[in-house]
Amino acid sequence: MARLMTWEGLLALLFLATFAGNVVLAPEFLTLQNQINLFQLSIEKIIVALVMTLIIINAEIDLSVASVMGLSACTFGYLVTGGFPAAGAIVVCLAVGLVAGMINALLIARAGIPSLVVTLAMLIGFRGFARVLVKDQSMGDFPLWVTHLGQDALLGPLPLSLVLFLVFLAGLGILLHRTGFGRQIVVIGTNAEVARFSGLNVARVKTVLFLMSGFIAALAGLLYAARLGSVRGDAGTGFELDIITMVLLGGVSIFGGKGSMTGVVLSILIILNLRNGMALTNITGHIQTGVIGVLLIASVLIPNLTNDLRVRRAKA
Amino acid sequence: MNKFGFALTMAASLMGTTLMADVITATPGQAVNIVLLPKFLGILPFDQADRGAQEAAAELGNTGTYQYIGPTPENSAAGQIEMLTTATTQKQGVVMLSNNAGDQIAPTAEAAQAAGTKVVTWDSPIPSGKGESVFVAQVDFGSIGTVMADMVFDEAGGAGEFAVLSASPDAANQNAWIEAMKGVLASDAKYKDLKLVDVVYGNDQSEESYNRALGLVDKYPDLKVIMAPTTVGIVAAAKAMQDEKLCDKVKVSGLGLPAEMVSYTMNGCAPEFALWSFVDLGYLTYYTSYLLATGSIKGEIGEEFAAGRMGNFKIDEDPGRAGAKRVLMGPFTVYNKDNVEAASK
Repeated sequence: MARLMTWEGLLALLFLATFAGNVVLAPEFLTLQNQINLFQLSIEKIIVALVMTLIIINAEIDLSVASVMGLSACTFGYLVTGGFPAAGAIVVCLAVGLVAGMINALLIARAGIPSLVVTLAMLIGFRGFARVLVKDQSMGDFPLWVTHLGQDALLGPLPLSLVLFLVFLAGLGILLHRTGFGRQIVVIGTNAEVARFSGLNVARVKTVLFLMSGFIAALAGLLYAARLGSVRGDAGTGFELDIITMVLLGGVSIFGGKGSMTGVVLSILIILNLRNGMALTNITGHIQTGVIGVLLIASVLIPNLTNDLRVRRAKA
Repeated sequence: MNKFGFALTMAASLMGTTLMADVITATPGQAVNIVLLPKFLGILPFDQADRGAQEAAAELGNTGTYQYIGPTPENSAAGQIEMLTTATTQKQGVVMLSNNAGDQIAPTAEAAQAAGTKVVTWDSPIPSGKGESVFVAQVDFGSIGTVMADMVFDEAGGAGEFAVLSASPDAANQNAWIEAMKGVLASDAKYKDLKLVDVVYGNDQSEESYNRALGLVDKYPDLKVIMAPTTVGIVAAAKAMQDEKLCDKVKVSGLGLPAEMVSYTMNGCAPEFALWSFVDLGYLTYYTSYLLATGSIKGEIGEEFAAGRMGNFKIDEDPGRAGAKRVLMGPFTVYNKDNVEAASK
C-alpha cells in the first residue's frame, strides 16, 4: 500500500487506467502502427524531456530547448536549400546545438545568472536567429535518405527517432540513478551551496548538463525536420512548455533534488496515451489541451495537499 | 434524390454542354466515413463549410459517419498532421483537408493514401500535390490575383503604396494568390503606379493580425491600402484602422465575410472586398469526396460529375501546381456598400 502511495505508484495506476480506457473506447488503439504513431507524433518532445529531467532535478531549467530545436531545424533547411550536403549540414546543426548549450552554460554556471533568466532570453534569441535564417518561408526538398530516416521504420517496426529515444532513456536513466555524476546532479539540486562546500565542482556539472541539453535539442530539431520533410521559422514553437509539463507531471520537483526517470517515463506514457485516446475518439484539440492542463494542476496540487494533510495529522 | 440527380442530368443534357453519358452522378445511400479537417476550429468560414458538407451528406444519404474536427490555431500545422495520422489509423474513407501545414503534411498524406484513406483538399491545397487525390479550388487562383490587384487599384485611386497582410507563410492558397497578384501587377501597365512595399503574416490570429496592420502603418507613412486576402486578417486590419482613426488615409481590402465586414464597408474603412461561398465549397468538396470514395469517379483529369444543386464540375489540371489536379468551383462576389448589407444577413 505504501508503495502505491508514492507518486510513481499513482502514475502507474493512472497510466493503466488511460491505457485500459483506450483499449475499450478505441478499437484501433492497440494496432502496432498506432502505437508507433503515438510516440512518433511527439517524439522530439519526449526525447528532450529526458534531458530536461536531469536539468530540473539539478534545480535549473532550460526554457530555450524548443528554440534550439527550431534553430537546428532551420539551419538544416537553410544549408540544404543553399546546396550544402545534408550529411555535413547535420554535423553543423549538432555543433550549433553544442554552441547554444555552451552559451547557456557559460552564463549560468560561470557568470551565475539564474537559468530561468538566461534560457528565457535564449528562447527569444535562438528563435530570432531561426527566423532570420528561413524568414517567412518554408524550406524543404531534403534528400530522400533524410526523410526516409525521419519517417520510415529502421529497426523492425521502429523508426530511428524511437530507437534514439530508447537509447537516451537507458543512457540518461543509468547516468542519473547509477553513477557518481548522477548523484552529483541530485546533491547539487538539493542544495548547491552545501554541494559546493563539500567540494563538488558545481559549475562543471551544470556545464555538462546544458551542453547535453543543447546537443539533444539540436538532434530533436533534426528529427523534426526529417519527419516533416520541411521546416519553417516557427518549428517547435511552444514545445518547451509541453516538455516541462511532462517532467513535472512525472513527479520531478521544480525546486530540484527530487525525481526519477521512471516517473517521467510514466508521465510521458500517460500524456501520449491520453492525447491519442482523445484523438481516436474524436475529441478536439481545445478539449485535449484542457484535459492536460487539469492533469498538470492536479499534479502540483495533490502532493502539496497530501503533504499538508500529513503535517496536520502529525500535529494532532 | 434519384429524381434530383436525374433532373440534373436532364438539365445538363438540355443545356447541350456535354454528352449526357459523360456526366457521372453519385449513387446515394452508400457508407463512407468522412472527416472535415479545417486549418483550425473557431472561425466562421470553416463552420460554413461544415454546414455545406452536412447539407451534402444529408442529400446523399451517406450512412457512414461524418466528423468536423480541427486543431487549435496555435497548434495548426502539428495538429493537422496528428489528426490526419489519427484519421488514417481510424481507416476513415476520406479526409477533407484545408491544408495549413504546407508540404510538411505531404508524408502523412501519402501514408494515408497508402492505407486507403483518400485526401481531398479544399480551400488550401498541398503545395507539391503529394498525397492529395484532388483539390477543390474555391476560385481560379490566377483570376483572384486580378481581383486583388483591381481592388487595390480602386481603393488607392490608381497609384501609391500598399502592403499585403496574409495568414501564415505556409498557406499555399495565400501564397498562390499573392504571387498571382504580383504577376498581374507586373504584366499590365495600368498598375505601374502601385507599389507593393511589404508582405506580413498575422497567422490568422486576430490580435497578431491587428498588430501587424498597425506595424505596417507605422513603417510606411505613405501606405494607402492594406490588402488582406484572409477573413481573419481583413477584419483585424479594418478594426485597427478604425480604432486609430486612419480610415480616411489607409483603406483595407481583401477577402472577407459580409457578416463580419458590413460595418467597415458602410463606414468606409474597407469599401470593397471579395469572397466566395464557403457553404458551397464544403458542399462541393463533400460531393467530390463521396464520389471518389464510392469509386464513381477515379479522380482523373477529364472526369465530369454532378454535384447536387451546384451543377456539373470537371477535374482538370491545376495550372498553379504541376502534376496536381483540381475541381474548380468559382465564381466569387465583390462586395461594396451597395450589396454588403443584403449579403450579411
